[in-house]
Amino acid sequence: MATSIRRAKHKDPAGQQERRKAIQKVPTGIVGLDEVLRGGLPAGRMTLFSGGPGSGKSLMGLQSLLHSAGAGEPGILVLFEERAAAVRQNARSLGWDLATLERKNLLFLMDARVNPELVVSGDFSVKGLLAILDHQTKAMGARRIVFDAVDTLLHLYDSPSRERHELYALHEWLLNRVLTAIMTVKTVQKEESPSRYAFLDFMADCVIHVDQRVTGQITTRRLRVVKYRGSGYGRNEYPFIIGENGINVIPITSNVLQHRSPGPQVSSGQAQLDGVLGGGYKRGTSILLAGSPGAGKTTLACVFARAACLRGERVLYLNFEESPESMVSNMLSPGIVLAPMIKTGRLVVQSYLPEAMGAEEHLFHALNALDELHPQHVIVDAISACNRMGSEQAAFEYLMRVLNACKERGITCFYLNQALGPDVIAEISGIGISSIIDTVVVLCQLSIGGSMKRQLIVMKSRGSKHSDRFHEYRITDRGVDLVKA
Amino acid sequence: MINGRKRAGRGAAVAGGKAYAFRLFVAGNESNSTQARGNLAQLCEEYLKGRYQIDIVDVWKDPAIALKHSVLLTPMLIMLKPRFGVSVLGNLSDTKKVLATLRLIGDER
Repeated sequence: MATSIRRAKHKDPAGQQERRKAIQKVPTGIVGLDEVLRGGLPAGRMTLFSGGPGSGKSLMGLQSLLHSAGAGEPGILVLFEERAAAVRQNARSLGWDLATLERKNLLFLMDARVNPELVVSGDFSVKGLLAILDHQTKAMGARRIVFDAVDTLLHLYDSPSRERHELYALHEWLLNRVLTAIMTVKTVQKEESPSRYAFLDFMADCVIHVDQRVTGQITTRRLRVVKYRGSGYGRNEYPFIIGENGINVIPITSNVLQHRSPGPQVSSGQAQLDGVLGGGYKRGTSILLAGSPGAGKTTLACVFARAACLRGERVLYLNFEESPESMVSNMLSPGIVLAPMIKTGRLVVQSYLPEAMGAEEHLFHALNALDELHPQHVIVDAISACNRMGSEQAAFEYLMRVLNACKERGITCFYLNQALGPDVIAEISGIGISSIIDTVVVLCQLSIGGSMKRQLIVMKSRGSKHSDRFHEYRITDRGVDLVKA
Repeated sequence: MINGRKRAGRGAAVAGGKAYAFRLFVAGNESNSTQARGNLAQLCEEYLKGRYQIDIVDVWKDPAIALKHSVLLTPMLIMLKPRFGVSVLGNLSDTKKVLATLRLIGDER
């Protein structure tokens, strides 16, 4: 038997190709999720979203249904827990108009709540539900179906074996009608421990765990694909946010580093500093400006920003230290006028308190800004403040992803780091980043003879013939001045 | 069975001669549904002889009616008269429970 199979494979490469056809997938329309799922949900099969209360699983089900409806594929939402009116209202807050889709017969909300006080005498089954669904599916030509909070239905049954039996019947029905289905289930325990609904995990073709947890007092949301029969998938935990328009998942878009090669040199905005740098900063590279408080990191970054804007380029300034107004006002004393740049929209300053939200929300805002503004340069002031995003690990991930995104797009990225000593100059949260940074400029302040002496040195600058000496500089009311040696 | 007959005697005096109407939702010839049909018929014969009416709705044949009444699980018994809305889910094998829910016993006191 075995030899004949081997022979068949050898003689029939085309047939083998046939057998290797990828499974059909249905996109969810959820930003980032389709990438993690390498295309979408398995067509004609069941996907399980499980997670704790408020984790976002019901929203994912609804959002995917709306996406299909928008593409002309009618769908049914079977609500075992929520009221249809509540779902419509909550959807409105995300800008989704369910009523219109319902009128067009592209969406049907089925109120399947079972009265908890219902008296039960003897055994019963979900056949009624299947009959109604049959009727509704045929009437609408529905191709998609979402069962929200299936656990509510299953709780009616006393025994786990009855639950399983009914779910198998439901699953069989789904497979026979070739519907792409999603079931959402509430789980209370951590995913690692055996759940009451472990058999659902076995039955479904694709299982996604959705999680909401608190790290360092900040709430973060993660999802993880636990299983996907017949397909590859992103295997990590992916952070996501529930934004203004729905769910956004933030995957790392490529497994391979696809950084653009550095571009030509661009002026730092200060002629003498250009000389020290060996011509200027290279476009698309990453620059670390490190120094103790007051050394002039923000000043130097703003000198660059202003010069770039005057050249017609766009700069995104992510400020974790002060508001745009405060920054503009403070930069007036070294004579840097930023207000006109902000007015014309060339300079965009986004200020956030690091602890205001989790790292993935910060990342979402940053990536969104990159996509909307298409800046040539990004300045992050200061990476040391990012520690307050919840955890050191979170801060590091945020900074790495922003850096990655910039390098993929050929955007010059400035990281300002508040370093209190020479040892920590090239460190973020205790994790060394010097190897991925192309240029490091260190600003030092020393008190000598009753006055502050400031010096800068270019520690490294890949691809540039930079000066390797300390250069004294001063911050005057006309910007930064390098003192001639 | 013997107990049942004893109670039947008292049952006739119960609920003072009111007329009863039921709607039973079933799913074709599925076993729970046939059991429910049988149990309900027997119950009515014993306690409400001559003054009951059973309307059987097969969800496979009339799914629209089932949807209208939000009946998703079968078999489902809904009382229409004298008190609308009382319902019991299941094949009605637990007779005592059914009777108590429909208030067919316990009225003696």
